[in-house]
Amino acid sequence: MRSLPRSAAAGSFARSLSRLLRSGGLMAAVVLYTLYSALPFAWVGTMSVRTTSEISAAHFAWPETFHWDKFRTAWVDSNFAQYFWNSTVVVVSAVAIVTLLGAAAAHCLARYNFRGNRLVYFVLFSSIVFPPQIILISLFQVLVEYDLYNSRLGLTLVYVSLQLPLTVYLLEGFFARIPQDLFDAAKMDGYSDLEIFWRIVVPVGMPAIATTVILNFIQLWNEFLFAVVLLSDQDARTLPLGIRAYMGDYFQDIGMIATGMMIAVIPVVVIYAFFSEKLIQGMTAGAVK
Amino acid sequence: MNRTLPGPAAGLRRTLASWLAAPEADTRRAALPTIMVFLLPALLVYAGLTAYPVVRTFYNSFFEVADIASSDFVGWNNYVAVLRDDTFWAAVRNTAIWSVVGPVLDVVVGLLLALCLYAGVRFGRFLRVAWFTPVLLSYVVVGIMWVWIYNYDWGVVNVALRALGLEGLAQAWLGDPRFALGSLIVTHAWKWAGFNMVVCLAALHSLPSEVLEAAELDNCGWWHKLRHIIVPMLWPTLLNLYILAFIGKMKVFDLVWIMTEGGPVWSTETVSTYVYKRAFNWNTFDLGYPSAIAVVWFFVVVGFVILFNVLFRSRERMEF
Amino acid sequence: MAAVHLEHICKRYRGTAQPAVDDVSLAVRDGEFMVLLGPSGCGKSTTLRMIAGLESISDGRLTIGGRQVNDVPAKDRDIAMVFQSYALYPHMTVADNLAFGLRRRKVPAAEIDARVRSAASVLGLGALLERKPYALSGGQRQRVALGRAIVREPKAFLFDEPLSNLDAALRVRTRNELVRLHKQLDATMIYVTHDQVEAMTMGQRICVMNNGRVAQTGKPLDVYRSPADAFVARFLGNPPMNVLKATVAARDGRPAARLAGGWLPLSRWDGAGLPDGDVLVGMRPEEVVLQEPRTTAEGLRGTVCGVEPLGAETLLLVELEGGAGEVTARVHRDVALAVGDEVGLGVAEAGIYLFDAATEQAIAAKEEQPA
Repeated sequence: MRSLPRSAAAGSFARSLSRLLRSGGLMAAVVLYTLYSALPFAWVGTMSVRTTSEISAAHFAWPETFHWDKFRTAWVDSNFAQYFWNSTVVVVSAVAIVTLLGAAAAHCLARYNFRGNRLVYFVLFSSIVFPPQIILISLFQVLVEYDLYNSRLGLTLVYVSLQLPLTVYLLEGFFARIPQDLFDAAKMDGYSDLEIFWRIVVPVGMPAIATTVILNFIQLWNEFLFAVVLLSDQDARTLPLGIRAYMGDYFQDIGMIATGMMIAVIPVVVIYAFFSEKLIQGMTAGAVK
Repeated sequence: MNRTLPGPAAGLRRTLASWLAAPEADTRRAALPTIMVFLLPALLVYAGLTAYPVVRTFYNSFFEVADIASSDFVGWNNYVAVLRDDTFWAAVRNTAIWSVVGPVLDVVVGLLLALCLYAGVRFGRFLRVAWFTPVLLSYVVVGIMWVWIYNYDWGVVNVALRALGLEGLAQAWLGDPRFALGSLIVTHAWKWAGFNMVVCLAALHSLPSEVLEAAELDNCGWWHKLRHIIVPMLWPTLLNLYILAFIGKMKVFDLVWIMTEGGPVWSTETVSTYVYKRAFNWNTFDLGYPSAIAVVWFFVVVGFVILFNVLFRSRERMEF
Repeated sequence: MAAVHLEHICKRYRGTAQPAVDDVSLAVRDGEFMVLLGPSGCGKSTTLRMIAGLESISDGRLTIGGRQVNDVPAKDRDIAMVFQSYALYPHMTVADNLAFGLRRRKVPAAEIDARVRSAASVLGLGALLERKPYALSGGQRQRVALGRAIVREPKAFLFDEPLSNLDAALRVRTRNELVRLHKQLDATMIYVTHDQVEAMTMGQRICVMNNGRVAQTGKPLDVYRSPADAFVARFLGNPPMNVLKATVAARDGRPAARLAGGWLPLSRWDGAGLPDGDVLVGMRPEEVVLQEPRTTAEGLRGTVCGVEPLGAETLLLVELEGGAGEVTARVHRDVALAVGDEVGLGVAEAGIYLFDAATEQAIAAKEEQPA
């Protein structure tokens, strides 16, 4: 019965370090780092609601008038709506598919003993360390050969394969911890293996599944390399590509670029606002030893 | 990673044997069709979009692939050319510097930030958000942001330096070959410090409170606790973070491409950007040569992973 | 070695109305083995941690060796603590674990070496000095934790339920070792536990706590024989004391306790100022004797509802007539009763305890009251 508040553990360490932190020096360092960390983003935020001419005049001023209509302009005139849509279609589909495939595979590897189980797991998992270049060029060739180049479908499939190892890794770990008793009871109640997966593993594993969904979504939403190689059509571009192209075409139009960047960042910020705990849990899983 | 590559050959043989052994009969067996239903879709995707492309890249590297459809066998020529390629070695140098130096920044800053939060600095929740947000931004956004920050005329860095009267220190951060790589490393570290912070924080919270209290009674102030108890107990996590960061930086592409495209004068060229350029941005079209580079780099990265595993998996168990 | 004095110590946590430790006063003598005993949540661990300096003191005075230490940080109080989970440094060898605190205090190396060796020999750790904690058994780890405290040569030793993670046999052995250690070192030891067997066998004095307050302090047998309230009475003793509701009535001109299933004489309280109305009557299972279920003589009547033969003795559970309650009795192993049998229970007058129905405080018999 340890009714101590969690911080009491750090209590004495915290007390002595806090004394140090309160002393100007370290506090100043904390403040400086916070500015370093947060200001760039805040700066882009302010620039996204100012026109380029305003920005050129005074780069760091607070917006006099908030030009919210720039968002509309970017959305409609600069094609960001199209890019946003492309990203959404590709990423949502890829995440859905990889979650299904990954969960099925993870369940099988975690639950059933069969010859070569660990070998399959190792093979799937080890591809996490592969540098992307090892598959980049030949994927390009493969997609061209199967007429999937420059298509959202092609990119979606590639995205599924990119996130599969991480998904399997995270879910296998979680599924393995579900007690065998649950399965034995379900078996005795007459459920088939597939039903057990669908009715028991998925609901019970929902926290881990949610975490992988969030992680995969954020990684794929921001993905750039494969999109750049496998998409060339202007209309097929995903958001990262769109912004980059915009940067290339309208290098001087800083205001618009800033607006575009903010549009790209919004879904991620929303997810973070609602799911920060899950997100952080997912990212730390496996990294803490 | 509990079941990764083992150490010496005997261990390797033992592991492979255990993986391929038939399981004992027990309730955790399932019919082959069932297993196939679960595994096959994922394995198909893996086979078609990961395994096959890897093999194909290996294949490509022995050819001159001047056309999507055709290819001429050139044997080891590509590899020989790679080893003689100055640009390749420049890229390796840059990537190596980045991979060795970057993780140190990442992990040290991450640990320091985590300690601040652990010690209960004020506005902790706000700070956690502020320090973590860069991790979520895409490289495109981060890249463009920092291109503007590094801008010679009106970027934050130079404006601040000028405001402080340090006019002489203002540089063309991305335009000067001497500073470009360092500037990129700083930007990359800016993005990732938050991730390391979050992992270190979780690790700090998992430390057993009674050990820290025992240290308190053993006359340890915060510095001694840090040095003798916290860092040694956190060592596996810190090492893990370093390795993760190292591998990540060996693959870095997005940030470089957005900010400098490898310039100026190859001072920020990394292996990834070089492969991309040779494959898709070169005056002669040949997919064989960049495939060779990719293969070489593949072995380098995997080699390092195995090396790290051998060196650090056999470390002491710290059950607590 | 030093005496430890707690004067009106309180601990309040922010956000909770009820203090965790409420007006605890305790004087531990120099060289004494004092046991803080109580159920989970009674505040004994919190009190111990306040003595150690791991929790701040909300109110009251704490002195160690005559010096007030309320605001003295833990590391400067010259106290050693043995934690429930041992809290060994997992990345250091046993020798380093023992030496760590001394090195931090800048004790000369030769002295450290001498103390480590002496502690190791006292506790039988000599062969284990180069091992790391994960390679030790639970009992060995516990001894290392003990050794870490001994080498410090502190003013007082604090123990936070150190035996609860050991298996039963080891617990008994270690208990005896601790008592022997106490005699050998002549040290002030404050020991927290919820196990009354440990308290009874190890403590020179025990302090029973409940709900953040001290219920009673005294020698183990004194507390056992003269509990200050019904809580202490029930807490010490296994099986616990039987406490029944009764009414005070007169019988043949003498005070008696009337229950639905019978009555018990209270002549010891004659003239002692008995309250009218309800009281609580207590009797220990070992003092309850079997007798004929008579209707008029003193005693209780009931039906056997459980028989637990333990080998050396038998426990009898009796449901009293008229719903007066259930009584547990320890009877001889050869008693041949079965569930459903009618029995009569009696208790010698000396074995009757009386408690106030409202406050649960013990009501002293005539001979116990001051003249």
